[in-house]
Amino acid sequence: MILFDHVTKSYSGDKKPALDNVSLHIEANEFVFLVGKSGAGKSTLIKMITKEEMPDEGKIIIGGIDLDYVKKRHIPHYRRRIGTVFQDFKLLPTRTVYENVAFALEIAGMSNREIERTVPKVLDLVELSDVAYKFPDNISGGQRQRTSIARAVARQPKILIADEPTGNLDVETGQGILDLLEKINDYGTTVLVTTHDANAVNHLKKRVVTLRDGKIVSDQKDHGIYRLDGDNDGISLPQPGHLHPETYLMRDQRKQPPKRRLIQ
Amino acid sequence: MSKKSTVSRLKQMAKSGSGHFFRQGSRVFKYGAIGFGRNIWLSITATIVTTLTLILLFATIVASSVLTSTANAMREKIDISIFFESDTTKEELASMSKTIEKDENVKSVEYSTAEEEYDKLYQSYKESDNQSMLTTLEIVGRDLMIQRQPAAMRIKVYNTDDLSSIKNIVNSDEEFIKHLSKKEDPTYNTNSSAIQTISSWADIATKGGTALSILFLVISTLVIFNTIRMAIYSRSEEIYMEKLVGAGNVFIRGPFLVEAMISGVFAGIISTILSLVGYYALSPRLEAYEIQVGSINSFLSEPKNVILIALALILTGSVITLISARLAIQKYLKRL
Repeated sequence: MILFDHVTKSYSGDKKPALDNVSLHIEANEFVFLVGKSGAGKSTLIKMITKEEMPDEGKIIIGGIDLDYVKKRHIPHYRRRIGTVFQDFKLLPTRTVYENVAFALEIAGMSNREIERTVPKVLDLVELSDVAYKFPDNISGGQRQRTSIARAVARQPKILIADEPTGNLDVETGQGILDLLEKINDYGTTVLVTTHDANAVNHLKKRVVTLRDGKIVSDQKDHGIYRLDGDNDGISLPQPGHLHPETYLMRDQRKQPPKRRLIQ
Repeated sequence: MSKKSTVSRLKQMAKSGSGHFFRQGSRVFKYGAIGFGRNIWLSITATIVTTLTLILLFATIVASSVLTSTANAMREKIDISIFFESDTTKEELASMSKTIEKDENVKSVEYSTAEEEYDKLYQSYKESDNQSMLTTLEIVGRDLMIQRQPAAMRIKVYNTDDLSSIKNIVNSDEEFIKHLSKKEDPTYNTNSSAIQTISSWADIATKGGTALSILFLVISTLVIFNTIRMAIYSRSEEIYMEKLVGAGNVFIRGPFLVEAMISGVFAGIISTILSLVGYYALSPRLEAYEIQVGSINSFLSEPKNVILIALALILTGSVITLISARLAIQKYLKRL
């Protein structure tokens, strides 16, 4: 579903590359935490998935699309296939919760009737029906993040990227958000969450990929209690680079997501 | 993953995700209108700046028109005066008039005998109720005054800059030389500089008015551009977010353009009202200074012309704000 094949990215003026020969494969329906300290390369990796940045070397394939061939005019269409959640929510301040969620459907050209049918269901899923007509400034941080998630999943994307989704929230609210992301994953959406919050990682016990100085230093599928002390890279890394990207796509296609739908 | 399969997938996405043209268009208009209301202070600022621009534009065009017609009217009033001995008869004046009318530069000729000149003078004092002058005239006596009053010929010309051919006739024609007044010289020498000054005023009014209008338009477009740019800068995060969610440029830009256009339309309506009220308040005072507002007054007396002005100002306002918004948002659309 998400494939990084020997990806390197440097920013001008920086001595070290932001991503250094990174190879990563996330299968369909997986839930993966991407952890690392500030500057480890998490955001760069996310920006590559959303095609805000392009790699200097290597190949990125997302949901069967080779990003090398995505032209500028096709970027909006590509982005509509990925749900994105941000630490600072990035909601439209002049639109209500309902309108923020509806926006994701409107840009995709969905009819008003479909939107009126879908948005209440999504708001119900994220437990925001009560605040549907409030503006982002008038709801809590947790509710804002739920709005952001609702907007991201409204189009039922195959992939959901959450960049530090609990970063601005207290522990309890953050865990509620993670539970919601897990619920979304249960319905068959591949979820990638970046965080430097050990509580978040330990709460769900999922696959954890650790980045340090632009390199993957650990990829743990089953782990004990996780500490973000930088010493968690003892497990050998899977190296998908020796396989051709097509092989991964075939594996993705073989693995069928659950038949139930997130939004009925 | 081949290029071919990626491109075909993307084309399929583009096809399924573009939506109905009118549906998307109506959403752009809806969010533009909502945005205008929800960003009311920025909308008011843009509307005020555009209104001021349009009022300035209206004032410049009116001033240019008024100055031109005033200069033309003044030019009409100016004539060349040639004076003759008081015993010059009507027939002699008519003969000389025919001679001078042959010159191509001559527009019209009026003449009056000494007696008629005196009567005009007397009548003008009477109309202006100048009692001291009337008393003087009565003391001196009509007959004596007529003997001292020269007969006069007043000539209007097409080109006030070149009077040489007329001067040539006056100075060389025998009949003119015979009757020219010994006491009073023709006035074209003393008037020529005034004629030239007024001619250049008319030129300045026409050319300067146009230049000033263009200058105002450029300056105001820059001012509006900066106002809208500041407004968009404060919402650049919003644009960034919309792009990340997958909104296309048309969908992001559209509501901003609609917001700007609404500002332009409001500015057009407000400036039409304020300009007309201002004009009607000022025009009696201008008339008192002999400034020619007649042509504008008659133009404005037709309701369809008022509607035409309103439409022109609304259109200009919308175009200025649309261009400014388009330029201002371009930078942020390139960001991702």
